[in-house]
Amino acid sequence: MIPLLLLALFMAGCDKLGSVFVEEDLLQRPPAKRCSDCHTQIYREWKESRHFHAWISKEFRLESENHTKTKCLSCHAPHQVDPGKKPVLRAEFREDGVSCVACHFKEESRTMHGPLRVWSPPHPSRQDLSYTKSKFCAGCHQETFREWKLAKVDRSCQSCHMPSLGKRRLIQKFPFYFFHRPKPRNSHRFPSLRAMQEDIKVELKGNKLMITNVGVPHNLPTADQGDPRLYLIAKVSYRDGRKRTVRKLLSAQSKTSLRYNVPYELRLPAGEIRSVDLTVLRKLSWKKGKETLLKLTLRTPSP
Amino acid sequence: MKFKRVAVLLLFITGVSLSTDRIVLKKPPRSLDRYYPPVSKKFEFLSNMHTMSTAFTGIRLNVNDGNWEKALFWAKELKKTYLKTSRMVPEWKDYFKPSLAENLVKAVGSRNVDRVIDATKKLGKTCAKCHQDNQMAVKLLYHFPSFEKVSIEDPVEFMELKTGDYMKKLADSLKALKVYLIQGESEKAQESGLNFVERARQLRSMCSKCHTNKLSEEVIVGKDFEKSLSRMEELLSAGKPKKDEVFKLLNSVGMSCAKCHNVHLVPAVVREAFGK
Ligand code: HEC
Ligand code: HEC
Ligand code: HEC
Ligand code: HEC
Ligand code: HEC
Ligand code: HEC
Ligand code: HEC
Ligand code: HEC
Repeated sequence: MIPLLLLALFMAGCDKLGSVFVEEDLLQRPPAKRCSDCHTQIYREWKESRHFHAWISKEFRLESENHTKTKCLSCHAPHQVDPGKKPVLRAEFREDGVSCVACHFKEESRTMHGPLRVWSPPHPSRQDLSYTKSKFCAGCHQETFREWKLAKVDRSCQSCHMPSLGKRRLIQKFPFYFFHRPKPRNSHRFPSLRAMQEDIKVELKGNKLMITNVGVPHNLPTADQGDPRLYLIAKVSYRDGRKRTVRKLLSAQSKTSLRYNVPYELRLPAGEIRSVDLTVLRKLSWKKGKETLLKLTLRTPSP
Repeated sequence: MKFKRVAVLLLFITGVSLSTDRIVLKKPPRSLDRYYPPVSKKFEFLSNMHTMSTAFTGIRLNVNDGNWEKALFWAKELKKTYLKTSRMVPEWKDYFKPSLAENLVKAVGSRNVDRVIDATKKLGKTCAKCHQDNQMAVKLLYHFPSFEKVSIEDPVEFMELKTGDYMKKLADSLKALKVYLIQGESEKAQESGLNFVERARQLRSMCSKCHTNKLSEEVIVGKDFEKSLSRMEELLSAGKPKKDEVFKLLNSVGMSCAKCHNVHLVPAVVREAFGK
């Protein structure tokens, strides 16, 4: 085996080499599990991502009436992802959700497209820089992409939601990985992330709380078909000893999200305010519980 | 001549909507569940309906063309599907008259146009009878998505509610607003009014459970709706709200409620009444 491989390496320039090691089934739209024979790490990350859950998600199954509402299906089990285009529904292995093949295999070239220039004997590959751009995600995350464009920032979706893992090997299969040097890797966990304290600016102006999303370059929360929410709970203490609680529910679907750099006004009941305890919670579409994003106390300076 | 008679008669029997002075809505038997989502994705029952209807057309076209062999093929196809369908929903067994399907096959086999017309008419009546009793209810029950499963979170109490319960809360805060406005109790009007505004805004969050096209949302709960709500919020927050202006805005908000009810309410209520 090894001598054969060495010979192969030796002949690296040879045109025929490509076809010697090609594993034909890789170009026949195999299930994602097949990719894990070599891309073991990436596969593991992806299995934890929401993209893997897109088809089997309980909530999705319920809302799509057990996968019978046809208009709901294409983004949750796409055939092929092309930048900015809404995908069509895949025929095979739908339980793989938004899968490796859907995102990387192109019917037109019958090769794996990806961000790197690689030598990949088992399957032809092609470098395609559209993989590093936000537009790659836009066919499905249509609303979020629109919001992101309005924000006019440089950072791409990938730079936040596929954070760099530094240089690592793309494949883990023995002994082949010896022939491939570590390369830039990006997390295929597609983390939902969480806004930090500094992403949300809060000011108390008279009887108003001004709340601004200054750190997340799309609506907070953002959604296409999901229903994530933000909860604002302001406990207000007045100088005369009264206390009042104001609650607000902001959601992507009701178009009440915090827009990037656009202040949101939370009106507080009339009176001379001494202090406000503000708590901001969020609920992701697919999670039952709420998580705290922010907790702070604002005081009006003494008169 | 023959040609015309067959065409006219077949038109008569396949026309599903006979004119009537009442529409019956009887709860379809549970056993029908098996052939519709979410249990089945194949719509087996409906699909048989299409097969039978197509077979009728097959008979008609081929009898008109004088192609009796092909007509016989369709007659047999019709009989097969008719029998199969008769076994699908036990509670509906009596609607089917298998002998009439056999009768049609024989009529086509005899190559006698008058017999075909007669047999067609008789079999067609069994279709029409069942349609009159059941088709509307099945359409409403199995083809319209359920609002019962759609929950919506109350923005005032942070609680997930079913659509019907949410609507009650929404309407309650609306009515309270009206009462307090008329009585001139500003502070109470303000509280229920602001609750109403929040609840009305939140309505939009349910649309995406069934719709993927944002335009559908826009026509009912879009910019005009939001503009009226924002203006109302402003008026109410300003202390003594101007009663007349608030009522005018409520009218325009109410148009959205009515539009949405026009499209969705009847099927939702029917489904609920049937406890589905
Ligand atoms: C083929 C359609 C499609 C493409 C292309 C796509 N996504 Fe997704 N994405 C989905 C679906 C569907 C879900 C929801 C899955 C679920 O939770 O059921 C999702 C979920 C997510 C989530 C988690 C959201 C949450 O609610 O927690 C993130 C983050 C995400 N995608 C980022 C990206 C990024 C970044 C890209 C581009 C590199 C991308 N997606 C490309 C369809 C797609
Ligand atoms: C245009 C592509 C697209 C279509 C069509 C689509 N979705 Fe999704 N869906 C997404 C994306 C992207 C997400 C990720 C979260 C978000 O941005 O809303 C998602 C997330 C979800 C979620 C939340 C995640 C989860 O698993 O709980 C549900 C539920 C859902 N979709 C249901 C539906 C239903 C029901 C339909 C049809 C009415 C539908 N989707 C049609 C793209 C789509
Ligand atoms: C038999 C091993 C093997 C299998 C199985 C395999 N690959 Fe690869 N793949 C490779 C090798 C080798 C490379 C290049 C690695 C390197 O250069 O470090 C590669 C590179 C890639 C790249 C990077 C392309 C680029 O230009 O950035 C993508 C994308 C890719 N594979 C997708 C897939 C998908 C999708 C599957 C499953 C259908 C799959 N691979 C299955 C061996 C494999
Ligand atoms: C939602 C689409 C999507 C899915 C699903 C997906 N990828 Fe990727 N993949 C990308 C994007 C986008 C990049 C480029 C990230 C960048 O460079 O910013 C990438 C990069 C890669 C690379 C280059 C190395 C790296 O980490 O950047 C490989 C190899 C790869 N993917 C393989 C896979 C395999 C194997 C699977 C399935 C286990 C998979 N991908 C699933 C979108 C996807
Ligand atoms: C500067 C980093 C950054 C960029 C760029 C970015 N996001 Fe996000 N995104 C976040 C953060 C932080 C969150 C978590 C917000 C929270 O706390 O709920 C998030 C949340 C999400 C969610 C989950 C729903 C939610 O609101 O919690 C989705 C889906 C998503 N982003 C998609 C995208 C897409 C698609 C793009 C590109 C068009 C993109 N993001 C660009 C930082 C970013
Ligand atoms: C036992 C009751 C019953 C009998 C008998 C019956 N049908 Fe139906 N039919 C229905 C019901 C219920 C529907 C509505 C189904 C739906 O919408 O899912 C229907 C619908 C139809 C439709 C309309 C399909 C559509 O897409 O809306 C046609 C055409 C039809 N039937 C043809 C026939 C023919 C032809 C026969 C007789 C040979 C027949 N049916 C006998 C119950 C019956
Ligand atoms: C339980 C599912 C469900 C929910 C929730 C729902 N709809 Fe619909 N709606 C339907 C169905 C089914 C139709 C019939 C047409 C179709 O199949 O798309 C329809 C039709 C419509 C139509 C006319 C046809 C079109 O698509 O333009 C409009 C407008 C509409 N809905 C608006 C809304 C709005 C606004 C909301 C939220 C306030 C909403 N719907 C919530 C199921 C739903
Ligand atoms: C999705 C579009 C939609 C919108 C927008 C909407 N409704 Fe409804 N409404 C429904 C549906 C569906 C039902 C039936 C729910 C059920 O009984 O399951 C309903 C039922 C009701 C009921 C009867 C509740 C009961 O069971 O006694 C009232 C009252 C009501 N709505 C008031 C309103 C008001 C007021 C507004 C506007 C501020 C409004 N609705 C806006 C869809 C809508």
